[in-house]
Amino acid sequence: MTDQNVAEEPPLAISAHVQYIQRLDKRRDEYEYWLTEHLRLNGLYWGLTALHLLGHPEAIPRADTIDFVLSCQHENGGFGAAPGHDAHMLSTVSAVQILALLDAFDDLEKRGLGKARVGEYIANLQNKSSGTFAGDEWGEQDTRFLYGAFNALSLLGLLELVDVDKAVEHITQCANFDGGYGVSPGAESHAGQIFTCLAALTIAGKQEYVNKARLGRWLSERQVAGGGLNGRPEKKEDVCYSWWVLSSLQMIGKTNYIDKDKLVGFILRCQDTETGGISDRPGDVVDVWHTLFGLTGLSLLDYPGLEPVDEVYCLPKSTVDRVLGR
Amino acid sequence: MPPKGKAAPKPKGSEANKPSSTSTSAPPPPASTTSTPSSVPSTSPSTVSERSQQRFDESRPNEAAREKSGLSSLAPAEQVAWISSQFARSSAARARLGTKAQRELWRHVNEASLPVRAPKTKPSPGSWGKDRAGQHIGGYTPARFDDRAAKRITLTALEIASRAFKDTRERARKGLLDPLSKEPVVLAENEIDQEKNRRRQMAALRRELYGQTMGQFEQDPEWDDVVPIPQDEPEMALAAIAYPASYAEAISYLRAVMQKKEYSPRCLRLTEHIISMNPAHYTVWLYRASNIFAMKLLIPDEIEWLNEVALEHLKNYQIWHHRHLLVDNYYPSIADDADKVSQFAASERAFLAAILAHDTKNYHVWSYRSYLVGKLGTWGADELAAVEAMITDDVRNNSAWSHRFFLVFSNPAHSTPGTAATDPDPAVPRDIVDRELQYAMVKTYLAPQNQSPWNYLKGVLAKGGRRLASVEAFAAEFVAGLGEGEEVEQVRSTHALDLLAEIYAEKREKEKADLALRRLAEKWDRIRVGYWEWRRKCLDVEG
Repeated sequence: MTDQNVAEEPPLAISAHVQYIQRLDKRRDEYEYWLTEHLRLNGLYWGLTALHLLGHPEAIPRADTIDFVLSCQHENGGFGAAPGHDAHMLSTVSAVQILALLDAFDDLEKRGLGKARVGEYIANLQNKSSGTFAGDEWGEQDTRFLYGAFNALSLLGLLELVDVDKAVEHITQCANFDGGYGVSPGAESHAGQIFTCLAALTIAGKQEYVNKARLGRWLSERQVAGGGLNGRPEKKEDVCYSWWVLSSLQMIGKTNYIDKDKLVGFILRCQDTETGGISDRPGDVVDVWHTLFGLTGLSLLDYPGLEPVDEVYCLPKSTVDRVLGR
Repeated sequence: MPPKGKAAPKPKGSEANKPSSTSTSAPPPPASTTSTPSSVPSTSPSTVSERSQQRFDESRPNEAAREKSGLSSLAPAEQVAWISSQFARSSAARARLGTKAQRELWRHVNEASLPVRAPKTKPSPGSWGKDRAGQHIGGYTPARFDDRAAKRITLTALEIASRAFKDTRERARKGLLDPLSKEPVVLAENEIDQEKNRRRQMAALRRELYGQTMGQFEQDPEWDDVVPIPQDEPEMALAAIAYPASYAEAISYLRAVMQKKEYSPRCLRLTEHIISMNPAHYTVWLYRASNIFAMKLLIPDEIEWLNEVALEHLKNYQIWHHRHLLVDNYYPSIADDADKVSQFAASERAFLAAILAHDTKNYHVWSYRSYLVGKLGTWGADELAAVEAMITDDVRNNSAWSHRFFLVFSNPAHSTPGTAATDPDPAVPRDIVDRELQYAMVKTYLAPQNQSPWNYLKGVLAKGGRRLASVEAFAAEFVAGLGEGEEVEQVRSTHALDLLAEIYAEKREKEKADLALRRLAEKWDRIRVGYWEWRRKCLDVEG
């Protein structure tokens, strides 16, 4: 029995969201566009994945996208966030994900510097003694980079380039007393960090190190009365946790721990059905990040009209199956 | 060229006083109008274009009529005049005449007061180009045109002076001697100020005349030696076109100095400038750190500056990574001095209190905080008091609870390094375990449905190797009349009921555990029915 009047939720405004994403790159007269240049490649991955899930992969021109991605590659194999930006793990992972989406690894071999060089760049960012990964030569360490490395390397078929066991050991040290995982040992449990740790362990085939009962409980507590999910106890609900929390539950096979209908309702209420896009909470300004994660959440919840998403790679299942030959 | 002495006399009048005696102007028509073709207007031109057109026409008397109706339609005197002017203007044509014929020619020219010089090409309104508003300059009034011309002259003069400044500076840099005084060339302070002033004026004039923007860095003589690197534009649809000018300029200078790895005060100022426009720009922070380390600037000064920026941009995480780098760099220099370390720890603690006051659960701040504790070794009473104050302020602050757990149970003085977070640690003294249990329980009363102290309680029990059942009485305080009917049953905390279910399971009291879980699923926490039902199934398995 729910408190909500389900009829209040608007249906998923597919074509509005497609148009919203298409318009993103045409805002070059907006200052904001240039201030977020250091996220450009990441933004492209978010937008493109969203379009694929919406069933409109052709909405952004494929050839242009591949050219743009390759133009971000550096001699060391890594990719920057935009042409002229230094290489970084996060944009490198986005580049690999985009190329996977577009089935363009051939272009990487022929016109780019090839998969092996990319793998090398990523592998060199591993701290050999602690097992964790830095984002770039400046050394900031974060479990996000570890997950990114595993994600990209496994898509490239090059996971053996890194010390998987040491990385797994590091992740286990990030496990906390409440069942969650933090950004580094001792740091507060956070849904985003949980996703990265769990997904990395899943890719490595080491889910046995996870106490699924405790983690599942922590994750189930993320759902608040309104149906949305938060990222930590006593924080506000946010659409992006529809991904971090839900995909984590999916990975340990416990999505029934939350009320799915209520979550669907929450996500749908976060849409801007007129101009397209999804925001963190109903009524707030939309952005492409929350648009993607709202859609991935709905996809995991089997919302009709969406392509199935892979809970580990945050790419369409069809893409991952194709690349990994499943 | 005709002999100068035989040029037609200019009539007195306003036109004659004009300084524009260039070759494009022909002498105005004489006062008598017998030779004036009908097409020449006698009104004053309102625009520069009109004026040039008039001058063109005036230099060709009879031309309009001839074009219209042919040479034969002109009066004989006019015919001769027209023919004479053709000869007068062409030395090649004149060369074919004999000397006598040429003297005849000039006699005709003088008698008819023919204009000898004439502009070769017909003026068009677009000849002068457009101004910054897109208006044809040919449409300006003569007065406005002269004003514009004067400004262009001023701009040219400024540019010449600016080049002179650069020459002087270059000669001073090379240590050359002034040829007159034989002293080394020196660039005075006031000359730099003058140049700055000059460039300001140049910028204003260029903007006014041509709509050009002269950027802040282009105007600064201090940056003259750096060639900015503009945005690299790949040739495809997703690439850049418009770019906010001042930001673009700053970034293009950043690229240039980063490429040549310059570390200097001006580069530091450049990073500050860019950070003020876009604190999320990832690379500029890293380059700033490089500058600070290369120039060995005082880290405490930088931290003071960083504090201001952090307070202005609470959601920015580069700021905290920058702080991390600064502390990594600074710590070795104070590590051996216990006083300095504790002083630094105190100032950091004070700032963290200030910033957390604005954003009590900021994840980046808290993870920096746990890094700092490990780095400075501040596991003791001061840090504990600080985190306790935050919990007192807001018992629901999960970040503070999490930090407390870390502080207490990862303290090297009484914990076993490498122990998993959920494993018992015999190195933790019993009285500390008791103390933490007590702390959690007391805080629970303030907000029984707040999850943090319940997680904390269970975490402490695990560390202390204690059974859940040891807190059964406490948990039971929050539940009454379980299963005895809607009117009687009271649950002040679903977490308490959850814990009781775990305790009953631990004690093998299966029915009581099942009842607790069933009531949670049916009534007290319906949204998590899937989870509670799974827990009930687990009871069956454990049997």
